[in-house]
Amino acid sequence: MAAADSPSAALRRDLCSRGIRLAGKMRADVVDLLDAYVEQQGLDASASVAAVEGVPLAAVERWDEQTGTQRLLENLVAYRAFRALLAQMLEEQREQLGEAEAGLGRALAAVLLQVSAFVYHLEELLRLESRGVPGEEGDGPPPPPRLSLFEQKLRGLGVLRELAQWAVRSVRDLRQLAKPSPATGAATGLAESP
Amino acid sequence: PAADPAVISPQDPTLLIGSSLVATCTVSPDFPLKAEDLYWTLNGRRLPAASYATLGPSTLSVALAHLNGSRQQSGDNLVCHSRDGGILAGSCLYVGLPPEKPVNITCWSKNMKDLTCKWAPGTEGETFLHTNYTLKYKRRWYGQDNTCQEYHTAGTYSCHIPKDLALFTPYEIWVEASNRLGVAVSDVVMLDILDVVTTDPPSDVHVSRVGDLEDQLSVRWSSPPALKDFLFQAKYQIQYRVEDSSEWKVVDDVGNQTSCRLAGLRPGTVYFVQVRCNPFSIYGSKKAGIWSDWSNPTAASTPRSERAAGGCDPKGGEQNTTLRRELKQFFGWVKKHAYGCSNLGIKLYDQWRVWLQKSHKTRNQVGKEP
Repeated sequence: MAAADSPSAALRRDLCSRGIRLAGKMRADVVDLLDAYVEQQGLDASASVAAVEGVPLAAVERWDEQTGTQRLLENLVAYRAFRALLAQMLEEQREQLGEAEAGLGRALAAVLLQVSAFVYHLEELLRLESRGVPGEEGDGPPPPPRLSLFEQKLRGLGVLRELAQWAVRSVRDLRQLAKPSPATGAATGLAESP
Repeated sequence: PAADPAVISPQDPTLLIGSSLVATCTVSPDFPLKAEDLYWTLNGRRLPAASYATLGPSTLSVALAHLNGSRQQSGDNLVCHSRDGGILAGSCLYVGLPPEKPVNITCWSKNMKDLTCKWAPGTEGETFLHTNYTLKYKRRWYGQDNTCQEYHTAGTYSCHIPKDLALFTPYEIWVEASNRLGVAVSDVVMLDILDVVTTDPPSDVHVSRVGDLEDQLSVRWSSPPALKDFLFQAKYQIQYRVEDSSEWKVVDDVGNQTSCRLAGLRPGTVYFVQVRCNPFSIYGSKKAGIWSDWSNPTAASTPRSERAAGGCDPKGGEQNTTLRRELKQFFGWVKKHAYGCSNLGIKLYDQWRVWLQKSHKTRNQVGKEP
């Protein structure tokens, strides 16, 4: 029982609960943003869009077999990618439409901020477990060639849809992480089997 | 990277309203699709097969005539689909009009520290395309073109220049409108900052009763802070209305005093009062500036005596208002045409009415005169 009250356990619970609240807010804001986005871009909200290169997919098989560390790392890679994708969307929005669609631009910027904050949370959780935070420099493939305007629209739709799905997955990942282990009373270890 | 399933040509064209367009969708050799497996949509609506033409085994075209303005500024979505509805390729059509010359440029400076300008898009207005507006300015006889940076500060078509403006020199100001179909430049407006000065509304507006007088209220206010720099004097205007009316009455000969008495009002009535000011005599100039915003409304009520409640002259208030207005006009005329009568004014009339009401009360207390 003493372990349940250890400073690191308390800190992990605190980071997880704040992360869960942030992910919940993020999902709500992304859903609203998606509605505004499809209207502005003249898209059908239910259009099936092929998986876009560079957009991390939230779908995962055998989620329950993952360890806490794996879940954290996958979250970190995904949200770092979303951070870059949203920044690119914002830049494209400003190039195409200037400040004419300022409302949508502000909403995009707000979600970008939330994603950045969530990346920070994930990095803190990984540091807490002395797992080390993977660096970003030189990560990933080179940037894809510039898309056509219509392809940019579709990619934006794909980005926001997957981000909304990821926010749901992240809430579940963090809830799992924050659960105390039945044996020791500590939160479920990141290296232990799920 | 994987090949695109198909390519549309032209890609993201810009067109004038009323134009026609023939677009082609060519399936990549890597994909086992033929022209008859394809169809087109525009903004999600399927285009009729009658407008298609097969140009090759894997190329289908569509003819669009008399295009309307784009439904959204991000462009109309012309999409080539496979039979099962999958998206093979898309092209954004930008259909609209070139911009009209922006018009009606008006500018004002707050306390000679900055300049805000607003304008209207040209007469046609809607171009269906995102149109960018850039406000530019330069000193008339020398200096380089400068570009305003802070847009939408006073409405959609406005820009604010916060600093680095010179006084005592004329400026040239114009607006450039541009979109995918062209550029239009407004006429150049020339102005001197000193000619378009406005200031903050008066502060500390207080409205109070004048003793027991049922038809008067006293209004007092403080002059705007910028006056403390002695940059300019100010003249004031008051507007007031009864609580349940939307019609404002304006008192526009308040002069440069910071108090005024409203008369001819209805007894026992709540009034809303606002004050605004106009800077003039800027560095000695005789030109008037631009009226400030109105101060926030201040409310007060005229007293109602028991005598007035069942007054024997229900139309007395109206007669007084009309009479007072006529007298004011008369005194204004006297001031202009009868030299040496400068002491005659509406204030003297107000003082006489105060005396009259007091003397009526005294007579009523004593008893009616025979």
